[in-house]
Amino acid sequence: MIRTALVWVFFTGTAWAQSESRDLRGIWQAAGTAFQNLEGAAAQQGRGAAKSAVVDPANGKIPYRTDARKSAERNAKERATADPLLACFQPGVPRAALLPEPFQIFQNPDRVVIVYQHVHAYRVIFTDGRPHYDDGIEFYMGDSRGRWEGNSFVVDVTNFKPETWLDDAGNFHSAKLHVVERYTRTAANTMRYEATVEDPEVFEKSWTIRVDLVRLAEPNSQLVEHECERDAQGIYRHPPQFLK
Amino acid sequence: MAASLSAAFNVEEHAASYGTPAGPSVIIDPPDGKLPYLPGMRERALDNDKHRERDPVGQCHMHGVPRVMFPPFPLEILQDREYVVILAETEHGVRIIPTDGRPFLTNYSSWNGDSRGRWEGDTLVVEVRGLNGRGWLDQAGNFMGAGARVVERFRLTGKDSLDYQATVENPSVFSRPFTVRVPLRRRPADVELLEYGCIEGERDAVHMPSARGETK
Repeated sequence: MIRTALVWVFFTGTAWAQSESRDLRGIWQAAGTAFQNLEGAAAQQGRGAAKSAVVDPANGKIPYRTDARKSAERNAKERATADPLLACFQPGVPRAALLPEPFQIFQNPDRVVIVYQHVHAYRVIFTDGRPHYDDGIEFYMGDSRGRWEGNSFVVDVTNFKPETWLDDAGNFHSAKLHVVERYTRTAANTMRYEATVEDPEVFEKSWTIRVDLVRLAEPNSQLVEHECERDAQGIYRHPPQFLK
Repeated sequence: MAASLSAAFNVEEHAASYGTPAGPSVIIDPPDGKLPYLPGMRERALDNDKHRERDPVGQCHMHGVPRVMFPPFPLEILQDREYVVILAETEHGVRIIPTDGRPFLTNYSSWNGDSRGRWEGDTLVVEVRGLNGRGWLDQAGNFMGAGARVVERFRLTGKDSLDYQATVENPSVFSRPFTVRVPLRRRPADVELLEYGCIEGERDAVHMPSARGETK
């Protein structure tokens, strides 16, 4: 009886219980501005300075192969028309987790489902050990398989289409992209998101970003529908309320 | 889950035609199996059928309710204590249905609406508001209009079978409410939804034949 009481005091004395650490359910959104440029940026008109989200390598730079860095720079110049996100393509991974729009996580015993508000993209992440699709089958959002490592939910993502970008600044990848994501609860309403990115066609070595996710804890929070409509040229465009 | 295919082509009874297998009506009320269109509205549906490039799904939009429940592609249903979630493979459509008694959103307009669920015995009852009035009911051009409200009933009738009914009340288009009933079958556990892409520049919908086999 006394021991039970002590345990109770221990759990209520902390902001959240350890037993919740594998409970990722809820509506989350990335803090900060990593979506603009994973490498960070100096302040410019309309935008404050941003730190790099890249934690490895330590210089905060994406370790591009020389020719690939030139492609990223060209993307950056042409981003007002070339960013596939502007035409409402599904955002890909890890970009989907970094956008200034919420996503909701649902958990079942054999799968975790993430629904992104952004163009209602979703991912069904099986956790029952079933294998990835074969090479050559490509998806905008990749093919995700999850497992628990301690209190981190680790998602292995492969089978990407090469068309998606990694951020607004034109950082990019090829179909050889391989992402390993780690979701780790850090407090009642915060979660650490890490993604290790590997793509031998574009990068000299793998690199890792780290971003905090914050829970939308307001009662009755819900995702709203973000659906694109065709413009006069037949290109899909975001409705004005979702333009940042 | 996957619905029987007939309703996706035409919710009313229809003969076979080019690209469309014959099928019975899925309308169980009114008893004649016909949509109770207001005067002039059936003509609009027939005109839609000759212009299937107008089909919102052909334009990559989500199906809307109730059409989202009987597409010719599979659905995935998840549930926990607070939500029922329906993922549609086609158009990567999503419905997140809170079952915790929260109020509806106000001033909301969307393709798949704002849904609230509750259990009545073994039946999940979902009320849907906030539909944008642009959704069609099937590929044959049967349509809904502004101000529609839908009440859906989901009931397991066997280990792998689900009875789906939806009552649509939409006085701007129909003279009375009507109810569709579609059976869904559970797919084997190893089936996975695939990613569906649609917005990458398709321009050929204008060549779709009429669901009634009519040519332009």
